[in-house]
Amino acid sequence: MAETLVKKFVVTRFDPDKDEAPRTESYEVPCHPDWKVLDALNHIKDEIDGSLAHRWSCRMSVCGSCGMNVNGQPTLTCKKAVSDLPDTVEVTPLANFPVVRDLVVELDGFMEKLKSVKPWIIRAKEKAVEEGPMRQSQAELEEFKQFSMCINCMLCYAACPVVANEPEFLGPAAIALGHRYSVDSRDEGAAERNEIFRGEGTVFACSYANECSEVCPKHVDPAAAVNQAKFNAVIDWAAGLVLPRGGKE
Amino acid sequence: MADAHPHAMAPTRPGKTRTAPPQRPPQFPMGGRYLAYTAFGWTGLIYLLLGFLVIEAVWALGDGAAAWQEQLLRYEHPVYIAFHVLALASVVFVGVRFFRLFPKAQPPRIGPAKPPPQSLIHGTLYAVWVGATVVFGAILAGGLF
Ligand code: FES
Repeated sequence: MAETLVKKFVVTRFDPDKDEAPRTESYEVPCHPDWKVLDALNHIKDEIDGSLAHRWSCRMSVCGSCGMNVNGQPTLTCKKAVSDLPDTVEVTPLANFPVVRDLVVELDGFMEKLKSVKPWIIRAKEKAVEEGPMRQSQAELEEFKQFSMCINCMLCYAACPVVANEPEFLGPAAIALGHRYSVDSRDEGAAERNEIFRGEGTVFACSYANECSEVCPKHVDPAAAVNQAKFNAVIDWAAGLVLPRGGKE
Repeated sequence: MADAHPHAMAPTRPGKTRTAPPQRPPQFPMGGRYLAYTAFGWTGLIYLLLGFLVIEAVWALGDGAAAWQEQLLRYEHPVYIAFHVLALASVVFVGVRFFRLFPKAQPPRIGPAKPPPQSLIHGTLYAVWVGATVVFGAILAGGLF
């Protein structure tokens, strides 16, 4: 059997019923060389301290629930190998989010922001079922496919310096997911979303730190989406000055 | 770790349990990749000062030839020269940052038109920048007009 690596995990703990503020606790964890950080956290919970709270589900970088800051970097813990980390591993909850307990953060703020960009297909008139499916070419699919890969892991919010300073900022994932629908050939709601994106604390609050794209585990490139949305919002506004109905047909 | 804004990512209605306040990314503002973001913010101050210098120059021009000659002499002071070197560095930094972003910020289509390949946009931006610098340099050196 492969040798185990003993690593020291310094984990943030916070019990809202007992603790005034978050504190840290250290655990010596015998890690298998092929373990991910999530395996080590599960080992702590199963074998050392059952009171540790952390989120996870798929264990394969699909569900987006295991995001935490590992040695300061927003990371999917089911993706990060412990063998790539130094002997001491610091695990903290995602930055920029209120902490519910230990490594679990409050996501309701994000859900509100996401809903505000109307991340669904908007049609002026629903197509009748008899008319058949809405067809989409490969080229049309390519226009939004990258942005639809977002798994809502929130690493982009934990990395974004604007989110830390401006609580009203919609943030990378919500904007990317709104933009994803605006560039979908089946959608007719781009004008509505452009109106939202021209508002306070939305796309123009982004000063292109690009941190969101650096940490995105799915290569969604939210910074590109945010800045494309800026462009579209401006073009839509300019078209509205010279064309009837905001330049929409 | 420093605190983020206390309402960062907080829902409009508080949840059932007490939460700990959000923390900033630990490397913010001067560590790792955040340094570039912070430096970008500081360039705003340099442009503000440059704005004052432009007003000062226009003022001197309005005061007549003697005042303008005096102004030109002031520009030879090492502090002025150092500031202008810093301003040049800021412009190059912001320009490169913007040029990196611009190609990927293009919408997939404007009407029926698709944007050209990113490398072409990138190359064109730098070519225009270099060209404009050469033209302005030639004008300032008296070579064009
Ligand atoms: S557990 Fe699903 S992404 Fe990590």
